[in-house]
Amino acid sequence: MKRSLLRQQASRPIVSNVLRTLFFLTVATGICILLRMIDNRDTYVPMLFILFVFLVARYTDGFWYGVGASLAGVLLVNYLFTYPYFNFNFTLAGYPITILCMLVVSTATSMLTTQNKRQEQIRIEAEKEKTRSNLLRAVSHDLRTPLTSILGAISAVIENDRILGSEERLSLLHDAQDDARWLIKMVENLLTITRIDADENTRLYKEPEAVEELIASAAAKHRKRFGEPPLSVSIPSELLMVPMDAVLIEQVITNLLENAVLHAKGADRITLSVRREDSNAVFEVSDNGAGIPEKLLPHIFDGYFRQNYEEEGDSKRNMGIGLSVCETIVRAHNGTMSAFNKEGGGAVFRFILPLGEEY
Amino acid sequence: MNNRYSILIVEDEKSIVSFMKTILTANDYDVLVARDGEQALMMVNSHCPDMIILDLGLPDMDGLKIIKAVREWSQVPIIVVSARSREQDKVMALDLGADDYVTKPFGTSELLARVRTGIRHIIGRSANAEAMPDGVFRAGDLSVDYKKRHVYVDGEDAHLTKVEYKIVSLLSEYAGRVLTYDFLIKNIWGQNANYNNQILRVNMANIRRKIEKDPADPKYIFTEMGVGYRMVDAD
Repeated sequence: MKRSLLRQQASRPIVSNVLRTLFFLTVATGICILLRMIDNRDTYVPMLFILFVFLVARYTDGFWYGVGASLAGVLLVNYLFTYPYFNFNFTLAGYPITILCMLVVSTATSMLTTQNKRQEQIRIEAEKEKTRSNLLRAVSHDLRTPLTSILGAISAVIENDRILGSEERLSLLHDAQDDARWLIKMVENLLTITRIDADENTRLYKEPEAVEELIASAAAKHRKRFGEPPLSVSIPSELLMVPMDAVLIEQVITNLLENAVLHAKGADRITLSVRREDSNAVFEVSDNGAGIPEKLLPHIFDGYFRQNYEEEGDSKRNMGIGLSVCETIVRAHNGTMSAFNKEGGGAVFRFILPLGEEY
Repeated sequence: MNNRYSILIVEDEKSIVSFMKTILTANDYDVLVARDGEQALMMVNSHCPDMIILDLGLPDMDGLKIIKAVREWSQVPIIVVSARSREQDKVMALDLGADDYVTKPFGTSELLARVRTGIRHIIGRSANAEAMPDGVFRAGDLSVDYKKRHVYVDGEDAHLTKVEYKIVSLLSEYAGRVLTYDFLIKNIWGQNANYNNQILRVNMANIRRKIEKDPADPKYIFTEMGVGYRMVDAD
């Protein structure tokens, strides 16, 4: 932990740290020179330098810059502001002690500030750790069910080789296949979350993509996996180019489509549509099923709603995490995401992506 | 002595090798296995397989290096296996001369389809002229007449522009294989063309409106998101 913090602190370029140190020292010297024109006593000089050494320590990384600044400060004071001027003189009575005090005080300040900074880092780190472990707990819970079923199905096939008919065997293997597919999906979602959460200013690999290609690709993959209910697709007749990380947005659409297949009770039609509204592209996945329960709506993108909402008993297909992944991806694209129920029945998941500067 | 096609699997993950080996053997291919890059290069040299299935993440060397080394002296089809999150790897592998890719995790049917396409191209290379005796590529209702330089849908001229025709004919020549954006741009606008996806996208959008009945559900030219385009196999 400590090592990684140190590495992070060293991440600010050395040049910038050195420049900051030099800047503060120059300002301190400048003020002292100006003040001496007005007032010939030099009692304020060490005070000013201590103040500026404190600032150096505050605005640079690590404490070496602070220590360096205090040493430089001591030498500067001795050279410029103590008699004889423009000469080093360590023999004057009292001065060695003043100088020593200044060195100790400034070094101590630097070290304290550095320690403060470290503690702040540790606090942020701990908070991140907490979110992560919350997610991990939710996920582990979700992974256990399909893993149990895969293990069960495969053990059944291996251990009952003689007893099982080929039909039973196939059905067990199909179940295992379904669950394995679901696990892959889950893991891909998790990878995405870690990719985006890793640092706040995530750099997405954004390029203008043709929406029709994206939609066609996502729809084709979906149709290959789920035959029912049928998916109908509508795209604008004009070519719509949207800057995006295509792999991630395709994942959003796939997640939403799958969500509709698995969760829209009674739906016999799913619609995927894109249209242009001003300088935005509006994507919608809708179905004509039972809709989203009202008490679920406010928390639908939280990722953890399962814990509070267990009406379906031990339903293993929790899309909570999938939906929160969708929202995270869309937000990382400076877009917005919403979910609501249609008047005639059925749920709508909508996300909006900005088209970029050209429009 | 048999006349089955031999396929070299380069992969360090035992369980993946075992499942690929099982399905390929069951489908009448001879299977060789290399566990790392060095062994792979040795086996390519000594066994001259008809096809290579290459995992890009090997313990001892970058899979891209193997593609480069093999392409210096051999045109054997190479199918790359890579993880989903590494789009750039796929593109680089294809640009270096790999023929196709499958993304982990993949199903058996997908792998077999890719292998069949690759094998067809070995045959196609030696007998391209015979495969299209009248100089016409046909897939479903689409036909590309290389002599007249026209594209027909349902027997009717699709009225493609020159550039659009070039794109379609290039894709049809490599039907079944993914052509990267970069490859298409270089072959159509020249080696020195600026890398500009936009022009290609706009042209593709126009082509799609001319030859596909439903641009949102294409039947002839498929998009491989982030990588390139693929034309459906000829009949």
